[in-house]
Amino acid sequence: MIHLAAVDEKTTTHASMESVVGYILLGGVLLSVALIVGGLAWHWVTTGQLWFEYPVGGMDLARFIFSDLQQLAVDPIRPRYLVNLGIAVLILTPYVRIMASVLYFAFVARNWKYALFTALVLGALTYSLFGR
Amino acid sequence: MALSFESLFLISLAAGLVGALTGMGGGVILVPALTFLGVDIKHAIAASMVSVIATSSGAAAAYVRDHITNLKIGMFLEMFTICGALVGAVITLSSEQRLLQLVFGLVLLFSSATLFVQRFRGRHTTTQDGFSRWLELEGSYYDQAAQRTIVYKGTRAYLGGPLMFGAGLIAGLLGIGAGALKVLVLDLVMGLPSKVSTTTSNLIIGVTALAGASVYLAAGLVDPGQVAPVILGVVAGAFLGTRLLVRLRNRAVRSLFTVVLFALGIEMVVRTVF
Repeated sequence: MIHLAAVDEKTTTHASMESVVGYILLGGVLLSVALIVGGLAWHWVTTGQLWFEYPVGGMDLARFIFSDLQQLAVDPIRPRYLVNLGIAVLILTPYVRIMASVLYFAFVARNWKYALFTALVLGALTYSLFGR
Repeated sequence: MALSFESLFLISLAAGLVGALTGMGGGVILVPALTFLGVDIKHAIAASMVSVIATSSGAAAAYVRDHITNLKIGMFLEMFTICGALVGAVITLSSEQRLLQLVFGLVLLFSSATLFVQRFRGRHTTTQDGFSRWLELEGSYYDQAAQRTIVYKGTRAYLGGPLMFGAGLIAGLLGIGAGALKVLVLDLVMGLPSKVSTTTSNLIIGVTALAGASVYLAAGLVDPGQVAPVILGVVAGAFLGTRLLVRLRNRAVRSLFTVVLFALGIEMVVRTVF
C-alpha cells in the first residue's frame, strides 16, 4: 500500500511538472506574439507602414536585451523595443523550460541523472546565448 | 533583395499552415520559398530558425499537457541535438551559399523519402537494453483513439543519441526543425509509439532551434524587421493548420506534401547545379 501511494504521488508530481512545462511554453509564445503585434501596430499607427528596417549587429542575447534597455533610459519608448523584446521572449521560452526542468529533477524528483543531463543542456545554452 | 512585410507574412503563413498539416514544421517550405524570392539563404535560415522556436513551443505546450510527450527521453536526446545544432550553425556561417542550397535540396529529397518510410512505422518494442533501462526510458499514455493506456519502453539509446546529434546538425545547418529525421530515430531506432515519437520530437525541436538561433543572433543574421513578420506568419499558419487538420484526410495531406517536398528539393538542386 505504501509502495502504491509512493508511485501515485510520483505520477502526480510528474504530471504537474508536465503542466508547468506546458504553461511555460504556451505563455512564452503568447507573450512574444503579443509584444511583436503591439510593436508593429504602434509602428503602423505612427508611420503608416508595417515594414521597418533596423538590422542589429552580431551580439549575444544579453546585449540584444540590454542595448534596448540602455536606450530606453535616455530615449522614450519606441515600437521597435517591443518587437525586440518579443523576439527575446520567444528565444528565452525554451531556455526557461530547461531551467524549470533542472529545478524539478534536482529538488522535486531528486533524480540526479536527469538533474545532471538538464544542467548540461542549460550550461551549453547559457554559454551560447549569453557568453559570446 | 528586401521583401515587403505583407509578402514575408503571407509566405510564412503558407509555410506554417503546410508545416502544421504535415507535422514537419514550416522551415522546409519557408527557406526554399524565401531564397526563391531572392532572400539571402543565411538570413532565410536565421529567420526560419527563430520561427521554429515559436511553432515547436506552441505545439509542444499542448502535447506536454496531454501527457503524451516523454520528458526524460526528450531531455536525454536534447544533449545531443543542441551540440549538433551549434556545430551545424557554425558550419553554415562559413559555408558558401551554393553549397547550403545543394545540401538543403538533398535534405528535402531525403525528407520526402522518409514520409514513405513512416507509412510502415508503428511497431513499438517491449524489451529494453541495459543502458536504456538505466536511463529510465519508459512511460505510458492514454490513447483516446484506442481507448486504452499504452505502456512502452524505449530502446537503443546508445544509437539514438548519436543519431540525434546528426538530426540537430541538419537542423542548425539549414534552419529547420528536422522533425522528420527526429521522428524517424525515435520511431524506428528507439522503438517508441508514433504519438510519443511525434510529440517528443516537437519538444526537442524548440531547444535545438534555440541553440542554432543563438549562433545566428551572435553572427548578426537575425534582422528583427525580417524576423517579426516571419514569426507572426508561421504562428498564424500553424494555428490555422491545426484547426484545418481535423477536417482533412491525413493520408491525402501527406501524399501532397511528399510531392511538394520532392519538387522543392529538385528545384533547389537544379538551381544550384545549373
